[in-house]
Amino acid sequence: MHEWTLAEAIVESLNSFVEQNGRKKVLEVEILYGEMMELDTDILSYAIEELVKGTVLEGAKFSLKEEKALFKCNACGATWDFETAHKMLSHEFGILEEPSGARESPLHFIPDLAQALLKCPRCGSRDFEAISGKGIRVARMVLGR
Amino acid sequence: MDRDILFERGRRNLSRIGRIITIAAGKGGVGKSVVAASLALTLGERGKNVGLLDLDVHGPSIPDILHARGEIVASKEGLKPLSVHGIKVMSTGMLIGDNPLPTKGEDKRNLISFLVGLTNWGNLDYLIIDLPPGTGDETIWVLRALRGLKNVGVLVVTTPSILAVSVVRRLLSMLEDEKIRVIGIVENMAYFNCEGKVYRPFGRFSEELVRRFKLRVIASLPIDPSLEQTIYDGGLPHRSSEELKSAFYRLCDVVESSWGE
Repeated sequence: MHEWTLAEAIVESLNSFVEQNGRKKVLEVEILYGEMMELDTDILSYAIEELVKGTVLEGAKFSLKEEKALFKCNACGATWDFETAHKMLSHEFGILEEPSGARESPLHFIPDLAQALLKCPRCGSRDFEAISGKGIRVARMVLGR
Repeated sequence: MDRDILFERGRRNLSRIGRIITIAAGKGGVGKSVVAASLALTLGERGKNVGLLDLDVHGPSIPDILHARGEIVASKEGLKPLSVHGIKVMSTGMLIGDNPLPTKGEDKRNLISFLVGLTNWGNLDYLIIDLPPGTGDETIWVLRALRGLKNVGVLVVTTPSILAVSVVRRLLSMLEDEKIRVIGIVENMAYFNCEGKVYRPFGRFSEELVRRFKLRVIASLPIDPSLEQTIYDGGLPHRSSEELKSAFYRLCDVVESSWGE
């Protein structure tokens, strides 16, 4: 359910940007989010739709695109994808989601905890990089007059 | 469009808090986290709504100091800090346990942006931010987020040791350059009482530094031999001894009055 918080962050940031630039209308917004966040895009889209009401963003076309996650080990050079990483995720740590009661990995909320929650599947090192697929950002925005 | 959405969200969250006290120290091992936890607990006992944010992402000790156990809950409003002993606490230690977190640079700053951006503190009178030693990514993140906010003050915790002076000087220089208000110096492990006599094994904090930065030593906290055992036994640090308890009450008086009316 933190999709609502993310939606708020997106909408607040965009509204502030548009206001600072003295524009009155936004036509399109493209959001790029990392695979590691495992976002429920239905909830995120709905939350954005609700939150933009009455703002300069109302009526803009929002598109959400997922960026695939890729990891690379600095110790042995191995690379792996999120499917492999997901299988290795320990269930020792979790965050409880309300109201569903589901228990999610902290990685789902804070992707940059990867080095604490994952290891290289080949050599077991935590000295790896999450090259892609972790954050959330506005990739593109088309402003109207 | 290059906007850091989560950083912006984190900064907005911080700007909505009554007062923010950042606990900084040049050197490690000076008791910064114990001071941060004790200050938060004492303010809480004085009826304030208090949050404690542990930003020592590599060595979070706040969960151990406060015996904070339990999982964080997420809702539509964000991550709920854990409520312990009347205050709200958020720490990476409650998300990754004792696992190491070898991260750096932008990744670490993004981690903090997510942590601060997603945490829903509710209404707070005070947020205490416990920083790691030094002037690395965590400190940079906080300086950037707090820049220009009026509700901010820094407490610099140090021992009076001569070895701490140059490190504290660097920290104070940086805070001065960044125009962040320093409430004062907290001189920790300053003295101990033995059979009615006061001993100061590390001497006194540098008067030259106090003059140079126009600051005050606003608290001199004793070395409390029972502190370690108190924490080990599940007790709280600010109640370890009457002397320490009184010292933290006096520190709270100074901190609260530093904002004026």
